[in-house]
Amino acid sequence: MRKHLKLIALAGVIALAAAACGGGETGDTDDGDQADGVQKGGTLRLNLLSDVISAFDPQKEYYSVTWEFYRCCLLRTLMSYNGMSTEEGGTELRPDLATALPEVSDDGLTWTFSIREGVMYAPPFEDTEIVAQDFVRALERTADPDAGAGGYGFYYSVIDGLDDFGAGEADSISGLNAVDDHTLEVTLNRPAGDFGFRMAMHATAPIPDGAADGHVQDYGRFLVASGPYMFEGSENMDFSAPPGDQEPVSGYVPGQSITMVRNPSWSNDIDDLRPANVDRIEITIGGTEDDNALKVDSGELDMQFDGVAPPDQVQKYQTDPQLEDQLFVNPSDAIRYLTINLAMPPFDDIHVRKAINLALDKDSMRRIRGGPTQGELAGHIMVNSLQNNLLADYDPYETPNGQGDIEAAQAEMAQSVYDTDGDGVCDDPVCQNIPTNTDEADPYPDQAALIQQNFEPLGLTLDIRQFERGTMYDRVNDPNTQTALGLAPGWGKDYLNGSTFGEPLFGSVSIGPDACCNYSLVGASAEQLADFGYDATEVPSVDDKIAECDETTGDAQFQCWAELDQELMENVVPWVPYLFDNYVRTVSERVENYTFDQFAGLPALDHIALAGGGAEG
Amino acid sequence: MGRYMIRRTLFLILVLFVISVLTFLIFVKLPPGDPARRFAGRRATVQQIENVREQLGLNDSVFVQYGRLAKGLIPLPGYFLTEEAYYSFVNFVPVKEEIYRRLPVTITLALGGAIVWLLIGIPVGIVSAIRPRSAVDRAGMFFALFGVSAPVFWLGFVFLYIFWFRLGIAPGSGLSPDENLMEGILRGRFLMPWIVISLSFAAFYARMVRGNLIETMSEDYIRTARAKGLSERRVIVRHGLRSALTPVVTMFGMDMGILLGGAIITETVFNLPGIGQYAIRSLVTNDIPAVMGVTMLAAFFIVVGNLVVDVVYAFLDPRVRYT
Repeated sequence: MRKHLKLIALAGVIALAAAACGGGETGDTDDGDQADGVQKGGTLRLNLLSDVISAFDPQKEYYSVTWEFYRCCLLRTLMSYNGMSTEEGGTELRPDLATALPEVSDDGLTWTFSIREGVMYAPPFEDTEIVAQDFVRALERTADPDAGAGGYGFYYSVIDGLDDFGAGEADSISGLNAVDDHTLEVTLNRPAGDFGFRMAMHATAPIPDGAADGHVQDYGRFLVASGPYMFEGSENMDFSAPPGDQEPVSGYVPGQSITMVRNPSWSNDIDDLRPANVDRIEITIGGTEDDNALKVDSGELDMQFDGVAPPDQVQKYQTDPQLEDQLFVNPSDAIRYLTINLAMPPFDDIHVRKAINLALDKDSMRRIRGGPTQGELAGHIMVNSLQNNLLADYDPYETPNGQGDIEAAQAEMAQSVYDTDGDGVCDDPVCQNIPTNTDEADPYPDQAALIQQNFEPLGLTLDIRQFERGTMYDRVNDPNTQTALGLAPGWGKDYLNGSTFGEPLFGSVSIGPDACCNYSLVGASAEQLADFGYDATEVPSVDDKIAECDETTGDAQFQCWAELDQELMENVVPWVPYLFDNYVRTVSERVENYTFDQFAGLPALDHIALAGGGAEG
Repeated sequence: MGRYMIRRTLFLILVLFVISVLTFLIFVKLPPGDPARRFAGRRATVQQIENVREQLGLNDSVFVQYGRLAKGLIPLPGYFLTEEAYYSFVNFVPVKEEIYRRLPVTITLALGGAIVWLLIGIPVGIVSAIRPRSAVDRAGMFFALFGVSAPVFWLGFVFLYIFWFRLGIAPGSGLSPDENLMEGILRGRFLMPWIVISLSFAAFYARMVRGNLIETMSEDYIRTARAKGLSERRVIVRHGLRSALTPVVTMFGMDMGILLGGAIITETVFNLPGIGQYAIRSLVTNDIPAVMGVTMLAAFFIVVGNLVVDVVYAFLDPRVRYT
């Protein structure tokens, strides 16, 4: 008996020792893998209030939410980003499917990309290697006026022969040459220093042969992934069937849900940019912001990805020490501003434009929108990431606490031709009932009232008309409407280069009802001004500087765009910028390793991890 | 009856035709803005916008554009919601596919809600009618007042907050990506939507049944039935209710027709992917083919619901004869 007891005791000690030693570093064999202290695994649960705008067709999607889904998860491109903030190198262009940064010829016209070998597509093309011709195919699809409608194909008109191909005047794009399977040579029709950034956009993501055939309008529902994730059910897509008989991927149900799972063809060994920590991403579409906020509070949802976090929830998370780590505030790379029509009196006088820059109470404008979490007060035009923070502290019209300085504004107004007695108050009739438009939705009417109040001491009264947002933009964009001030526009970058601000907003080619979006008429010719019915015959132009910056490459681009910004703010003054928008997000308590992708201006879903690898408690 | 049915069917077609013309004018031709411009993107060239306009058929005459959309309303294979005309301007998903996928959700919501409001409204109305001015009657009518006064969107949010968020005894809104409609039903995702959608109808039906039954119970034939020695239960159920419920049938048919076209508010509050949610999205994004498809679907359900109700009425009320 005693012998048996000893044996039992020994067995018990051995069992205890085995339990203590088992499970590896995490102490639990069921936990996910760990990398860099971050637990891999689990299902990330998100919500979108609205579906993506073009059903995931990469040639059509002109929407930052979809761009993040592409960058983090579904599509790799020749160049890309690390999915982090400006301070963490998130604005730097990095090779993704390319082996290195491209070689650029001395004249800036030839860009050569060397492509990684052995990178395969996701199922059902898991046996197909990504090769140079696949990028050509993507750009051909971008040039196709049917397949590319609604997208941003205009960024690729700089490729020699692309527009001819799109017009049906050529069988191929002459500027694209797949030298071999792993070398792509691109010839431009003019130097473009930001071309590398354009090749980081997902309209250039490779498409395998046959995948997009017959799917001119709906390729997104048959998307073949190349990133760390793919749509659930991708392996069941059958491209051997006629296009009309093919079943779209089950992991994307338009208007209802998106489910992404790991791409078995991908691994961290072939991708330096994406940790891809979670195993699965489930996204529900629809609902309301308030309901989704409660879901985040309860842990049923990890994050509402688009839309705005309700102010009361933000305040709760800000003031509760247990929740403050679940609140994230990052610059979204969008700016809000007042746009000034340089051809309309009294704003054809630079002193008046400078005066209103000094008069505006930007702090109160921000408070109306929700307070300091909504963003930083803007003192210049381009968002800071586009200049690598070179002008982060630059504000030529800075006022105490950003609350406006009426004395300084009046001093500026006194120099204007419209203030004949030099008392700082406009005394010309053109300063009365200035045609102004704004958005009818909150908070713009309240902001309009504040603006009117701020400008009255300068002798400026505004005739403010409110419009539905789309109509507001159409009217401020159309010089024929003779709108002197637009109070509600905003602008965000397309990619991390100042060229997405320069020409679209201040280039003379962007003027007119059929163009977009130079509302201020910077660079308008005398002929254009006459056609639109203005008496002014001349307005400042920055076309030359824009052209110079467009051709600059490397870090010198940041400096060039910063110089343009300063030129605009000091010598042109087409805007009153007031807010660099923030992206404010609350997350559930299990979200870890939250990083902000400066490219898309959204959380980097490939970096996010879940506590305990997502194991339910 | 046969001639009546033929007449009503022809009238149904006429009504749908008029609605289709009005819908086309209101949503397609009258609004400002250029759908081609929106479709082509904010920085499209003039040529690109023109290409899109051609692609969408917006350069065709009003009659050709209407004809294309009208052809898609013919309920025959090869015609009905044809992809040639009914292809979303917004997300390039065929309207037919969206409607077929979403319709079961809306049907589930409507049918379940209908069962709930009938199970609540009719008994409440009966009890209130047979015990007028009693505490039960007052409670029933208070419920009716509350039900018709409380907005659906408010009720929905209150229910979610109390029963899901605070008490945790009901599931939250929406369907999970990994569950289908049946799984969603079995997991109770439709319980609160059914209750919320049914409350206002139940309240209205309770009042209607109460009023009709009180009036019916004062009829001579009811007095005769009692005089013949029939039990009160038999008098109410066999004689009183039959007359009192006839108008309820009429209302029920119309209400079901309306709901099948999409319970917009309930679907939005509870994030149910039904026709109502699709209708809202289509309107907000000015997705013309989707707007046409959803509007005509809703109109179809309403006019057919009316027709069914009228036919059923003839079977319920022997005094009604159609020629």
